[in-house]
Amino acid sequence: MTVATEALVVARDLVVGFPLPGGERREVLRGVNLTLARGELVALLGTNGSGKTTLLRTFAGTLVPDRGTVMFEGRSVGDWRRQALAQRVAVLPQQVDLPSGFRVAELVAMGRAPHARRLFASTAEDERAIARALLDADAADLADRPAEELSGGERQRLLVAMALAQEPDLLLLDEPTLHLDLAHQVALLGAIRRLRGQRGLTVLAVLHDLNLAAAFAPRVAILDEGRVVADGPPAEVLSPDLVRRVFGVWVDEARTTNGRRHLALREV
Amino acid sequence: MTLRLRLLLILSILAMCLAACAPAASTSPSAAGTVAASAPAYPVSLTDDAGRSVNLPGLPRRIVSLAPSNTEIVCALGACDRLVGVTDFDDYPAEVSDVAKVVIGAQVDVEKVVDANPQLILAAGNELTPSSVITQLADLGYPVLVLYPESLDELYADIELVGRAIDASTEAVDVVDGMRTRAQAVADAVASAEKPRTFYEVGVFQGTIYTAGADSFLSSLISIAGGDPITGDPRSTAIQLEDLVAADPQLILLGDAAYDESITPASVAARDGWKGMTAVIDGHIVVMAEDPVITRPGPRIIDGLEALAHAIHPELFS
Amino acid sequence: MRAAATTSPRYVTRPSLTRAGLVLGGGGVLLLVTLLAAVAVGSVGVGPGDTAAILGRRLLALPIPETWSPAAETIIFELRLPRVLTAMLVGGGLAMAGTVFQALLRNPMADPYIIGTAAGASLGAIIGILAPVLMPALALGAGTAWLGLGMVQALAFAGGIGTVLLVYAVARGNGRVPVVTLLLTGYAVSSVLAAGVALLMFVSGRALGAIFGWLMGSLAGATWQGLAFAVPLMAISFALLLVRWRRLNLLLLGDDQAGHLGVAVEREKLVLTMLATLATSAAVAISGTIGFVGLVVPHLLRLATGPDHRLLLPASIVYGAALLALADLGARLAGGIPVGIVTALLGAPFFIWLLRRSRDLSRVATA
Repeated sequence: MTVATEALVVARDLVVGFPLPGGERREVLRGVNLTLARGELVALLGTNGSGKTTLLRTFAGTLVPDRGTVMFEGRSVGDWRRQALAQRVAVLPQQVDLPSGFRVAELVAMGRAPHARRLFASTAEDERAIARALLDADAADLADRPAEELSGGERQRLLVAMALAQEPDLLLLDEPTLHLDLAHQVALLGAIRRLRGQRGLTVLAVLHDLNLAAAFAPRVAILDEGRVVADGPPAEVLSPDLVRRVFGVWVDEARTTNGRRHLALREV
Repeated sequence: MTLRLRLLLILSILAMCLAACAPAASTSPSAAGTVAASAPAYPVSLTDDAGRSVNLPGLPRRIVSLAPSNTEIVCALGACDRLVGVTDFDDYPAEVSDVAKVVIGAQVDVEKVVDANPQLILAAGNELTPSSVITQLADLGYPVLVLYPESLDELYADIELVGRAIDASTEAVDVVDGMRTRAQAVADAVASAEKPRTFYEVGVFQGTIYTAGADSFLSSLISIAGGDPITGDPRSTAIQLEDLVAADPQLILLGDAAYDESITPASVAARDGWKGMTAVIDGHIVVMAEDPVITRPGPRIIDGLEALAHAIHPELFS
Repeated sequence: MRAAATTSPRYVTRPSLTRAGLVLGGGGVLLLVTLLAAVAVGSVGVGPGDTAAILGRRLLALPIPETWSPAAETIIFELRLPRVLTAMLVGGGLAMAGTVFQALLRNPMADPYIIGTAAGASLGAIIGILAPVLMPALALGAGTAWLGLGMVQALAFAGGIGTVLLVYAVARGNGRVPVVTLLLTGYAVSSVLAAGVALLMFVSGRALGAIFGWLMGSLAGATWQGLAFAVPLMAISFALLLVRWRRLNLLLLGDDQAGHLGVAVEREKLVLTMLATLATSAAVAISGTIGFVGLVVPHLLRLATGPDHRLLLPASIVYGAALLALADLGARLAGGIPVGIVTALLGAPFFIWLLRRSRDLSRVATA
């Protein structure tokens, strides 16, 4: 992997909280520092409640930080016009309400909204982007299906296609492998890695499977209780010791046939 | 949504009851046309009970009446044959049954009014004829005279106002003189009599009792007929049962019994909370079959006044 | 369309032009036929020849000799034509506003009145109706037009807009207006105003009939002046909402995802709410609170056109217009009952059918 130099996203001392009924705030992120260089592929790991989704939503401009900053292309995310930001940043959320009555291709076409040029029509460029997104997300076979008929995995492929149709510079993926079977997990992550190579896409992906993350991403960042506790190549970061400290689970280290390190559960 | 529907349902029932039988509220613009004993010379300019100025370019030969009381006034002035539009509620005099109906089910059919090609429209005030309809007809260029008398004197003035509008001032003076004479006879007959506390029941809807409003036409008629009216709220015309009990009527007159046979002196006496009233104990509960003429502000209201006097002081009119 | 998708990488990403043409073209024809029928029919018979001649002379300035009575001309041109056009404007406005609120609130039971427009407009109108009765000094001023409007219409319009602004301000917290808070606040404020309406009705005496007629909604008082007031407001609302079809589609995905796709969500919700309220209040000011059109038409059309607002918005204007004009024609033929009763009679059974249908759907979904 080439070492990228230009910083695309820079988070500094990021503190994000939610109001509690008593008027106080519960801080979810407690001083996160994280920089994504252009073209980087980073897996974000951590326990439930460690702040992964909150970090993604703050990067996307959906949440406003209490303190600290998120700079995108050198400008604070909050200062971007929403449409200009959406032309550059796409999000795959964990939860989306899919309205009934739309077909998959129609929903994927909504991903083109930030790029809309004409009042009522779509452009040839839109059509090309939609077709490409459907192929890249392995969702071309779903194009004419009503969205409400999709299975969980098919829904996930639709949402990925919608995000890809935005043709973003930065792709924020919140558990992209959710609901996907093993074959589709591999296909999706492979496609994303390929797009990164082809278009210089920058990707931050929340994953749960440590071995999948290690196989997929050249860099992993680990969140624990609102702070980044480890950040670097998986071979250095994902040690049995760290897994025990962060996740409280004992794992053993093994080697795969191609020499990659593998973490195996000691017992359940 | 459901809130709105529920509200509409409840209020629709109220609306139909009240619109049909509530007596006058007290605060509408006061009467009546400026009366000058002049020979009819058209064009003539009149001021109606809504304070509107109405110009008549010539003698109106085609008249539309939007209320039964207005119809009766026109006919009493001998101009029944000039009516070209009346309401489907009109029942007096009998000859108006052949006239085209332009008010059907309390709705003014503006197309039919226009089709009747009237030269004068006699409307009723205080939303008996909806003000939107009055505005619409006036905007179309028709002279609309709004009549809304709230006492006998205002009714006399209105009859004379109509007389001037349709060139029947002489007849109007005769009609009014006749009415005054009869009303005076009633007043004289009861002048020295005791004035029993009189409760006139207009209706009872969902437990709310409606009667004559304070200072209303109906309460003034009861006074003239020798009673001491027990009145309700001047606007809603409602009276609370405990206020009625406290007022302790010596006589109960049932106006609503004219329309509903289930309301009888016996059924009223059996109501919860009514048993202790003097009128109930003494059996002084009377059905007022004459309610239609008592509550219709036309020339026959004197019939209603006499009926009230007979009911309140039967001993004087035996 | 399916065949095209399998042979080339062009996918169906919008309602087909054929379907759009059928829906909107058919709607246009329906609208025209309705207009002609509704102007030609009424409680007084005017021959179709005379009707056409009167319209030709007054609208197109054709040199047709006057062979009809002045009464016929007044009935056609001063009573029926403004009434039919008002019905169309109001029906189109309410249906479009209903479509917008159903999308914005992501609530299939939303109608144009849901966050307080009806209660506020009703209170305003009733104050306008009662003011001359309660304060005779105002009676002389009541007939004077203000911006081509009577006091009742002006207060109804102001009441509708003002109530929604109030509801919106109350529902706002941390710079956000959550949909559920907006709905609940609208319901609470409406309840307070409805109590005020009931109180005023209780003390209204004989004006109750007029108030009741207004609440049920009626087009009997339609005039050219009322149209002249409402047309520009509706035109602004129509134009600015029609070009917002993309953002309405995106809001169906939820606030977060709409934001991810470039919508300035909170600002856009306010803009959409106020544009829909503008159309609703203008409609209510000239016709009273006519129910069900704004609820029923969007649902019917969603079945026919799909949920894409690119087609749904213009279609709801066209079909809402035709539907209310037809309902009003029915109301006139039924002896002048308020049109709100007709739409409720049509709408309530539809509502029940809708409930039954959505129950069937949920059974399928949970099976």
